Amino acid sequence: MSQIGNYTILPLTIPSTPAYPKPTTHTIYLRPHTPKIPTADDARSLFLVNVPIDSTSAHLRSVFSSLLGAGKFESCSFEHERKQPGNAVALISAKGSKKRKRGQEEDEVKMVELPRIWDRELRRSGSTAVVVLVDEKSVELALKTIRKLHRKSSKSKSGDVWPVWGEGVPESSQITGSKRYLLHNELRFPNPREIQANIDAFMTSFNSQESSRALSAKRARNEPDEDGFITVTRGGRVGPARAEEVERKRVEMEDKEKRKREEMERGGFYRFQTRERRKEEQGEMIRRFEEDRRRVEVLKASRRSKFVPEK
Amino acid sequence: MAPLPSKRRKLEHTPSDKSMDEDQSENHIDQQSSAESADEAAIPQLKQAPLRQKHTQAIDDAALYAGGSYKSSLFKLQVDELLAEVQPNYEKRLSGVNEALRKLKTSLEGIEDREPGSVSEATKSLQNSHKITVPFPDPKPDKNAAYKLSYSRPSNINVVGSYALKNMVKTDGALSIDMVVVMPSSIFQEKDYLNYRYFYKRAYYLACVAAGLQDEVKDEFVLTFEYLHGNSLQPFLVVRPKLGDNGKNNKGYEIRIIPAAPPSFFLEAKLRPGKNAIRPKDSQADQTTSLPPTPFYNASLQADCNLEPYLKLLHASSKLSGGFKDACVLGRVWLRQRGFSSRLSEGGFGQFEWAALTALLMKGGGPKGHSVLSPGYSSYQMFKALLQYLAANDLTTKPLYYEMENMTNIKSNLPMVYDGPRGQNLLFKMTAWSYRLLREEAKTSLDMLNDATFDQFESTFIIRTSQQLQRFDCSLHLSCPSKQLETTSCDHATNERKFATCVFDVLHEGLMDRVKIIDIRQPDSSSWSLKSSSPTSSSEPFLVSFVFDPANIDRLVDHGPPAEEKKKAAKFQKFWGEKAELRRFKDGSILESLVWSSGSAYAVFRDIVTYLTTCHFGKEVSDSLIFIGEGFEKMLPGGSSTKSFEALKQAFNVLEQQVRDLEGLPLQLRQLSAVSPQLRYSSIDTPSFSPTQPMKKPADILIQFEGSGRWPDDIVAIQRTKLALLLKIGNLLQEVDTSIATRAGLENDEHRLQNCAFLDIIYGSGAVFRLRIHNDREQTLLERQVKNKSINNLAREDALSALSAYKKTFLQLPLLNQSIATHCTRFLLLSPTIRLVKMWFDRHMLLGQVSEELIELITARTFLHPYPWRAPSSTMTGFLRTLSFISRWDWRQAPLIVDFTGTMNSKDVDSANTRLEAWRKIDPSMNRTVLIAASNHDTTGTAFTDNGPSKMVAARMTTLARSACKLVKDKGLDLDHRALFSSSTTDYDFVIHVSPRFIATQRQKDTKSKFKNLEVQSDIDLETIGYQPVQLYLEELQKLYTDSIKAAPRPFKVNLTHATKLAGAKEEEGEQEVVIHKSAILAEIARLGGDMVSRIEVQR
Repeated sequence: MSQIGNYTILPLTIPSTPAYPKPTTHTIYLRPHTPKIPTADDARSLFLVNVPIDSTSAHLRSVFSSLLGAGKFESCSFEHERKQPGNAVALISAKGSKKRKRGQEEDEVKMVELPRIWDRELRRSGSTAVVVLVDEKSVELALKTIRKLHRKSSKSKSGDVWPVWGEGVPESSQITGSKRYLLHNELRFPNPREIQANIDAFMTSFNSQESSRALSAKRARNEPDEDGFITVTRGGRVGPARAEEVERKRVEMEDKEKRKREEMERGGFYRFQTRERRKEEQGEMIRRFEEDRRRVEVLKASRRSKFVPEK
Repeated sequence: MAPLPSKRRKLEHTPSDKSMDEDQSENHIDQQSSAESADEAAIPQLKQAPLRQKHTQAIDDAALYAGGSYKSSLFKLQVDELLAEVQPNYEKRLSGVNEALRKLKTSLEGIEDREPGSVSEATKSLQNSHKITVPFPDPKPDKNAAYKLSYSRPSNINVVGSYALKNMVKTDGALSIDMVVVMPSSIFQEKDYLNYRYFYKRAYYLACVAAGLQDEVKDEFVLTFEYLHGNSLQPFLVVRPKLGDNGKNNKGYEIRIIPAAPPSFFLEAKLRPGKNAIRPKDSQADQTTSLPPTPFYNASLQADCNLEPYLKLLHASSKLSGGFKDACVLGRVWLRQRGFSSRLSEGGFGQFEWAALTALLMKGGGPKGHSVLSPGYSSYQMFKALLQYLAANDLTTKPLYYEMENMTNIKSNLPMVYDGPRGQNLLFKMTAWSYRLLREEAKTSLDMLNDATFDQFESTFIIRTSQQLQRFDCSLHLSCPSKQLETTSCDHATNERKFATCVFDVLHEGLMDRVKIIDIRQPDSSSWSLKSSSPTSSSEPFLVSFVFDPANIDRLVDHGPPAEEKKKAAKFQKFWGEKAELRRFKDGSILESLVWSSGSAYAVFRDIVTYLTTCHFGKEVSDSLIFIGEGFEKMLPGGSSTKSFEALKQAFNVLEQQVRDLEGLPLQLRQLSAVSPQLRYSSIDTPSFSPTQPMKKPADILIQFEGSGRWPDDIVAIQRTKLALLLKIGNLLQEVDTSIATRAGLENDEHRLQNCAFLDIIYGSGAVFRLRIHNDREQTLLERQVKNKSINNLAREDALSALSAYKKTFLQLPLLNQSIATHCTRFLLLSPTIRLVKMWFDRHMLLGQVSEELIELITARTFLHPYPWRAPSSTMTGFLRTLSFISRWDWRQAPLIVDFTGTMNSKDVDSANTRLEAWRKIDPSMNRTVLIAASNHDTTGTAFTDNGPSKMVAARMTTLARSACKLVKDKGLDLDHRALFSSSTTDYDFVIHVSPRFIATQRQKDTKSKFKNLEVQSDIDLETIGYQPVQLYLEELQKLYTDSIKAAPRPFKVNLTHATKLAGAKEEEGEQEVVIHKSAILAEIARLGGDMVSRIEVQR
């Protein structure tokens, strides 16, 4: 079988390891990429499900080279790498609408990332990837080759027609085991000077961004928009009050009011108040009793009876 | 609603909360009315239902339950359930009893009289005709005695006891029905009370009854002899229905035929506790005044006379007071759960004593003859009031003489409740130690019932507290010496009982305040057949149990009296023999003293006990000693003392001082707090370090600065600023102290909102700290982000998880750390217990899933809410009680609540309950929040349970605890503590064996050989700090396969293999033909593990 739904099945031969000597195949499901928001590269992209956890671009390159021959593989992106559309350059040039600007600001912050502490990322089990090939023809060819291989494998007994995982991939993208963790242990303690430089860069861009944000806010205070409204923004002549402080103050005031009111009520100023309070108390008591009764019922219903003394 | 709580508290106030003293009688009237109504509530269906409409009654009931006579409505409801549950079904279980009783009665009345005969004649004739051996008590009667034994028709036959009063309680064994056969006064003489004569006649009479019944009912019933409450003076006849005809009946009931003396036949004045009734053979009769009293003998005789009078008394009491019967049932359950019964071997205080004491106190016993209990009390009030009476009054020094004037006080360490009208000491079967234990239990239960915050129903009536290993810190077996003990008393007592008394006296005096409770259990007697003679004392060893006082148990020097007080000093020397020595102390005093060689608490204790027994009972006895209880403590790596944590603690204090003294910090320091198990005495391995061997696992600490407006208003920027600050602190510290090395590290690279940096501070001494900065601005920013509706869900979720991580690390952990550390110093045993419990979790491969903090909370509960016991005073009791709590904890329905400061009230508890219910409503299948562990710091209860354990792990935890508790119960004293810690891997789907090389780097113990050659190169040493490849590997695995696999790591044995287990089935994303591709995953795991994984073993 070479097909599940509209996914084509691509088994990979996994070389055995001393720890797990059983010969294994890993199954990748792939289909032409058709995202909800189309992009220019869709036609020459393949969508892969269930990539192995240690996939890297080099791994996939080697798989597609063995299917299509060298040079057909352009790039690939993995599941959580695709969350942010990585085209920051295009956005920086656009300075038109407000929406765009916010995106730009965020990206600027992102640009100064901390040094990486792992040599490479791992993919979650069963996660997806998008592979971009050189042209549309390669996509079709890839799927066709896989179908062909399926036919071939059903004929030949040995069945080792499938691409071998990790074949021809440079050692550096295959670091596993203790080496990986030793490397991690080195990476997580970068040179202090490097860190300092990194922070400085970050703070510079953050500060410039803050000041530009303040500037734009200030501008927004004076400029009416197309509809003639002036947006109310933070900051003004008075020093900036923090929103939560205002909130806290308000809650405090409300509490004070409430306490005052309650004190008055507790005084039992009117007779009806006392009466109502009593009624309320009784109601509360009954409510609590009902609650307790319900709880006891639940206890009674549970499998191990809670009312028999332990033996 | 706000005024309610205070009002409620007022309503809850029960009259029994007050001391049961003088104000009792004044309160009498209004209590009566309130309790009457409570009484109505107890049997509403009988009295009220027809009278009122259903609705009003419900409201009425509710009001009744909510206020007044019970601890709380929940408690009352539970008590009702309990009472219904323990009541046997009389019709079903005891069918045929009445017929059997009637039949026995007719048979008894038909037995023919026997002419008086001498002792030897009478015995012989019975032996010949029925092969029955007369159960004479020791010493056996003189063959040549002048008196005659005879039999004639009983003057009365009556059923007494709980069957007659209809207050029986379900038991494991047969329900027993007491049938009293009153012997006619014609066969006795007035002087028969002397020298066992009464008891010989009684034994003969019983044998005749047995003979007569054997002829009549042999086919239906089995007859055996037994001692009443193990008292060898009072044998009686047990009649059990035969199995054959009805298989079901075998456990149903037994009828106990007890011969009774004719009431008030013997003079009460002659049998008072101060009188002698066993004359020494060679003395004159007129010497009575100077002879030592025989209280036990006298009371046994009186007990025989009083069987019927007490039935009348109890019957009258239950008529007088509605709550009486139920109070007796409650008392009975309470006593049983604490291992008390009327039997001599089980304390001598059972249901009968409870009921009779309640009945007496209802009529008097208070000051000026006022009654202590009011008949108007509800059953619970009466129960609690009796506990209060037991707890508050010391009946050994201030005996209760009920309706009895001018009693002379006899000095003794035995309790006394003398019932004047019936002339009997109710507590004559109690021993000095059982009375102390009873009072201790009463005090504990009273404290427990006065705790208004938590529901104590379960601890009062349900939990079996008498389990040896959970109750006592140390038990020891002691064999009774074969030779007769010489005592001055001539009272009737078996050799064992005499020996037990001596043992108690010696241990009590010798151990002083080291122990709180000493309990001695003698081997019990059982029934024997009519044909054989009564079983001689068995050779089974005694069981002596102790509860330690942790503050004093390991004291090495005991101070005796000063040398000037000659008399006391001589007594001290006599008691301690050669061990006593005169010493001069720093304050100039010269005291008799004892010095013990240092060691663990158990070692010191064992030395003392062995010395005392050798000294006082000889080598034979001390060689027979077997101590039980130390094993658990010995399992802990690095010892059980908290001293091994002190070095790190001091290093932390030094660091704190250095940080405080730092000049040039950009912000003012607020506080430095510890957040590591190593800094709160609760890590399994004690932190050990040396200049050549720094700590493998850095101790986490937090630093907080005073608030400042200079922090940026952005969460990511704050994280970066923290990193810069850390670098700055590191540089400053290095400048101040050249022995310090620092390095800044990064973490949480995937979560930009979470803390991204830490600073390792490595001292030359080898202490390593990992410093993080706490900035309280983060919380507001994160909360704002969580509430922000304009950002997408994903970002909000991110903020939410960052917020929960923030709360855990920066808010909850410091509080928990402080609480645990404080209580570890308050309860000396908390630290080793936590470590042992963690070890248990670790050995069962749950430590990766259940957070250490949660385990600490669970264990702290055992100490802070210890009821029904007191706080544990040994690692063993602490550990076993914790396990038993886990096994009982129904986390589906109940939260764990730990109150560190004792400031929580019932409202807090309610809110935790409500929260749990809310969680269960939102997430009934418990995919997210499984356990709720609230404390006074964290009322949400999810701080340490947010990231697991999952439902599966929690269920496994409960199952494991249950089977452990079962093992403890089944094995009893023969328990091998190691059995609790061994686990099997068969339940797991597959096992990953990690090659031993990498475990060596994880466990500090093993580093020795590995780094020997590197000891001089400090920079290489630095690199290995905090390098835990196996840990990292596991974390990655968990992240990659969150939904499918549960990993549970632990080293099997040091230096052997490391097993990582993964359980659960893998579901793969896909269409209808889902493939569970296990082998592919296993191959991935093997690839990732690389050289670290030696083998993957697939189990199924």
